[in-house]
Amino acid sequence: MRVLVTGANGFLGRHVVGALLARGVEVRAMVRPAAHLGALGWPSSVEVFTADLRTSGELRRAFEDVDVLIHLAAVVSGGEDAQFAGTVAGTERLLDAMAASACRRLVLCSSFSVYDYSATGRILDEDSPLHLVPDVYTRDGYTIAKWWQERVTRRFAETNGWDLTVLRPGFIWGRDHGYLAALGQQFGRYHLVIGPLTRIPMTHVENCADVFALVAADRRARGQTLNVLDGRGERIWTYLSDYMRGSGQPGWRLPVPYWLAISLVRLAYATVFRTASKVPSILIPQRFESRLKPLRFENRRLRETLGWTPPLDYQQCVVRTYGPATPTAAEPSGAGALAVLNSRFNRRNRFSKSS
Amino acid sequence: MLRAALIGAGQIARQHLSCLKTLPGVELAAICDLSPATAEAAAERYCVRAWFTDHWAMLEKIRPDVVHVTTPPTSHFGPAIDSFNAGAHVIVEKPAAPTVEELETLVQRAREAGRHLVEDHNYLFNQAPQEILRWIEIGEFGAVIHVEVLICLDILGPSGFADPNAPHPALTLAGGAIADFLPHLASLAHLFVGPHRTAQTVWTKRKPSPLPFDEFRAVLDAERGTAALCFSASAQPDAFWLRVYGERMQATANLFETRLTFDRPRNVPKPLHPFFSGLEEGKTIRRAALATLLRKFKEPGAYEGLWELLARTYRALADGAVPPLSASHVLEVNRMVEALKPKKRQL
Repeated sequence: MRVLVTGANGFLGRHVVGALLARGVEVRAMVRPAAHLGALGWPSSVEVFTADLRTSGELRRAFEDVDVLIHLAAVVSGGEDAQFAGTVAGTERLLDAMAASACRRLVLCSSFSVYDYSATGRILDEDSPLHLVPDVYTRDGYTIAKWWQERVTRRFAETNGWDLTVLRPGFIWGRDHGYLAALGQQFGRYHLVIGPLTRIPMTHVENCADVFALVAADRRARGQTLNVLDGRGERIWTYLSDYMRGSGQPGWRLPVPYWLAISLVRLAYATVFRTASKVPSILIPQRFESRLKPLRFENRRLRETLGWTPPLDYQQCVVRTYGPATPTAAEPSGAGALAVLNSRFNRRNRFSKSS
Repeated sequence: MLRAALIGAGQIARQHLSCLKTLPGVELAAICDLSPATAEAAAERYCVRAWFTDHWAMLEKIRPDVVHVTTPPTSHFGPAIDSFNAGAHVIVEKPAAPTVEELETLVQRAREAGRHLVEDHNYLFNQAPQEILRWIEIGEFGAVIHVEVLICLDILGPSGFADPNAPHPALTLAGGAIADFLPHLASLAHLFVGPHRTAQTVWTKRKPSPLPFDEFRAVLDAERGTAALCFSASAQPDAFWLRVYGERMQATANLFETRLTFDRPRNVPKPLHPFFSGLEEGKTIRRAALATLLRKFKEPGAYEGLWELLARTYRALADGAVPPLSASHVLEVNRMVEALKPKKRQL
């Protein structure tokens, strides 16, 4: 089986490539022209295809002899229009090329941001409401782009009769990506922790990559939409503590009850900012909720559909994130990688619970 | 009711569409973009009933009175010509055309069709230049001797003009990314000193990037005075300075903000002039700082000039009058732009 991975050198992509290699899958890695690949340590079996989804005219060649597309590429920086052009129009161009090929299987990396947190009750799972038109256009650029990317992909899949799996990861964390938007608001050394006991919908990048590699080959995943979470998630207070310790950035955590914070935001919005057309995200109630609303997050469908359990538990993820540098993508992940990991790092290091 | 349509729903289109939704007597009838999702998203966001991926189909079906061409800089010509042929007026983003010859063709076609071509010289309609013009017109400013226009803008970041992965469309213009800003510099110079007679330019590159140039200087001799124009990608912080020197007054504005200060003769002993000027300038700048902060929360923000230009243009079209930027104005500004472009020996 040959898999084409877009965004292959990105934060998630490089781990997905590693997880696919560990499963013996042939990988064609699509990277942008200016990408630096040296540090990734990919073996020569990884076929690199250089293209930018916004402009490249040769995308059809990327699908030659490809069985599955794992589409991870998205623009996550820049303004709203740049994100839309890169993520959505880029996806259109990619899927136009796929439609002209023999490839019929597609795994899309979507996002939790497509869910409408404001309309969600206590539990957020795959059946929770999504944003609706025109309300979605009041959300931030990343949300609009990911919502539209999923919409476009579903339309292509339906038109062309493709097997589509949509994976919606929560907050993806890992080495150099420990700080999450769910942690609240940082002011220098001070962290305003809004709802300190709220659990974060999170997945470690290596666990998340394991799901993508599994789904690419597993027939049970076809036609499914699955949230990708490692479990119930850590509480913000605990996770932030591990982050500050692990990253060597000490600071002060100031707890603020969620109900108080959202009440203040709603009051400010109703009295001052309602007529304003441009307001900082954190002061718009719906956007505030999508970052911080305390909900229960479920990965039951992922577990029941695929029988998946995360290869790494939280403490191991902490070690992988903040401990010494870990193996490259070419090295096996999952159980094999864990054995390597355990032999390298003492379980009683400063990140483990027993320390 | 004038029916408006837009071709090219990218970044700057947002400002056109937001403004059109506020204009009385204007129906935003259709949006067109090569990307179906981009066109549909813009139509949903601005509650527009029709969207297209083919501008010929849109022109034929919608028959708009006015077409906004907001595609990338080198792709205005085709949609603009087709819009004239369909009987529409055209409001086109700057630069309207990559060469004066193409622009002359557009103007000629507009005349033949009995329609107007308006290029977006938005900064002319910001409050500061308009206020300076008012002082000139009432005779307090005196004749303008010299104007300086200076843009300091970091365009060397990895996204945008200097994106190493996807070449920005503006890089195909002579002068590269800076050429995208020449209409701003030239239109402001033209506003205060008129059409140019001669121009001397310096194009240089200070830092490694995909851009052919990142610094530009020019000195112009024009019909009513002189002008010094400058673009710097390295000078920080970002600013857009406009300085106008008159026989009796001087004006300074930062068009990225709302700051506008005047220095004028005072009825005080000459040694005290700097003191009173400083006091007044400080007071004005404090007020402008607050106004600049508050305008960040509201549209149109820094695009106030574009909104004003569109409002005046639609009023003129509704009344059957000539728009605020005439074809001859657009041609004169673009001839100045042509004179500012790097010469073959500089390329």
